[in-house]
Amino acid sequence: MYEWSEEHRELRAEFAHWYETLGEGHLEADRDSGLPPRAWERVRASGLLRLPFHAEWGGRGLDLLSTMYVLEGLGEGCRDGGLCFSICTQIVSAGIPLQRFGSAELKARHLPGICDGGTITAHAITDPNGGSDVLGMGMTAKPDGDDWILDGDKVFVTNGPVADLIVVYALTDASLGPFGLTAFLVERGTEGVLAGADVPKMGLRTSPLGELSLRGCRVPAANVLGRPGMGFAVLDHVMRWEILCSFIVQVGAMQHRLDRCVEHATRRRQFGRPIGSFQMIADQIVDMKIGVETSRRWLYDAAEGFVRGRDVTTDIAIAKVLASEANVKSALSAVQIFGGRGYLTETGLEKDLRDAVGGTIYSGTSEMQRIRIARMLGLKESQT
Amino acid sequence: MDITQVIREFVVTEYLPDTPPDELEVDYDLFRNGVINSLDLLRLISWLKDHFGIPVDELDIVPENFRTVAAIRDFVDSALPAPAERTLK
Ligand SMILES: Cc1cc2nc3c(=O)[nH]c(=O)nc-3n(C[C@H](O)[C@H](O)[C@H](O)COP(=O)(O)OP(=O)(O)OC[C@H]3O[C@@H](n4cnc5c(N)ncnc54)[C@H](O)[C@@H]3O)c2cc1C
Repeated sequence: MYEWSEEHRELRAEFAHWYETLGEGHLEADRDSGLPPRAWERVRASGLLRLPFHAEWGGRGLDLLSTMYVLEGLGEGCRDGGLCFSICTQIVSAGIPLQRFGSAELKARHLPGICDGGTITAHAITDPNGGSDVLGMGMTAKPDGDDWILDGDKVFVTNGPVADLIVVYALTDASLGPFGLTAFLVERGTEGVLAGADVPKMGLRTSPLGELSLRGCRVPAANVLGRPGMGFAVLDHVMRWEILCSFIVQVGAMQHRLDRCVEHATRRRQFGRPIGSFQMIADQIVDMKIGVETSRRWLYDAAEGFVRGRDVTTDIAIAKVLASEANVKSALSAVQIFGGRGYLTETGLEKDLRDAVGGTIYSGTSEMQRIRIARMLGLKESQT
Repeated sequence: MDITQVIREFVVTEYLPDTPPDELEVDYDLFRNGVINSLDLLRLISWLKDHFGIPVDELDIVPENFRTVAAIRDFVDSALPAPAERTLK
């Protein structure tokens, strides 16, 4: 298990007072949906958006593991799961690929705003045709002089309704298989770009999610991240960051929920005894503990391998499946352990459950992660 | 076995099980002919890292390095230390 230094702990403590502030009014915010007014201002002030970016652009220059360590604290301290999700999307969707694959000019233009939160970012991968099968997408980009012309629709764009800068993935040459995909930086004001309204959804309601339509949208060739045909490598890099960052936040949330359940099971009495003394309740809490510990270890271990250049394709997929499924199970157990109170909105636990369900779908469904693992083992499927 | 042959056998075993290795031309376009999809590419990269011990960086994942057996060989060649120092698994 990764050993955290005193410096790491101090770093996490430095942000601690922000966590609760960011989650203030989370129950009302969930009821109202959409990015809570004023919340983004607080997010910006917290400095969390700066974590993994170079000082040159106004970032904190933290490595991946230190960034995750702070984000785990965010998940533990902030009860607004939707806001946490939007924070992760802001960090990973455009800033991370820009820092890794962008030209010097693009970085200088956009990274300061991304670090500061003045530029809200999103990424648009999924479209009505291409979900799990990313390369089956309908969004195309065709060269035209020094520009590319993007055409198509995207769905499920987290932060989409409020984003200023969106990384759009488009097919540039369908016959090139995995090398037919290209990532473009698209500014909100570009002619032909239309962002839809926040779409109502099961959980993560404070994280706005919408559709995006691009019609004959002209984007300069200089806005390509990496090179044409490198979209798949860009996406793979971003997905690793997204999984590691957004699920370590959930590990923090699972830890908080575990502590809360232990406390409740110790205090709440039935049949003259604390409910935690009933083996069936203790069992559920023990499984919550196993879930949080396993997910945490897998995520940090995969992150360490990633940083060291180890091949972590399988590790990341395993970590994602474990963490997302453990989170759903933990949230469901918490509702059960709190009994009728768990079912009430005011306890915040039913919201946790609704938020958790999304985790088995976004960043690659559980099914797709399992397919990846099978393929990495050399197992083949006949049809896919 | 030389590198070209090792790569050719991997590609055939993994992606073209019905083709005898020697029939796979080194300049056969693996993308245009739909041999390698995105999951296959991930496995190929992982194999290159493991088998030859070369660090494949995201920035190396460009079509020129993977389009044909010859391209993969050239990529491996450029990433490997001088022949005398090689230790193939
Ligand atoms: C909260 C939330 C936030 C999101 N944010 C973003 C975002 O910011 N940007 C973005 O681009 N997208 C985003 N998404 C979209 C998400 O990435 C997709 O929903 C996901 O990739 C699945 O695609 P799909 O919805 O088209 O489902 P489909 O691909 O249609 O899948 C439907 C079902 O079939 C299964 N399935 C598909 N193919 C196979 C197969 N070969 N074998 C077995 N089972 C299979 C899937 O696992 C799933 O259970 C978000 C989704 C959610 C829920």
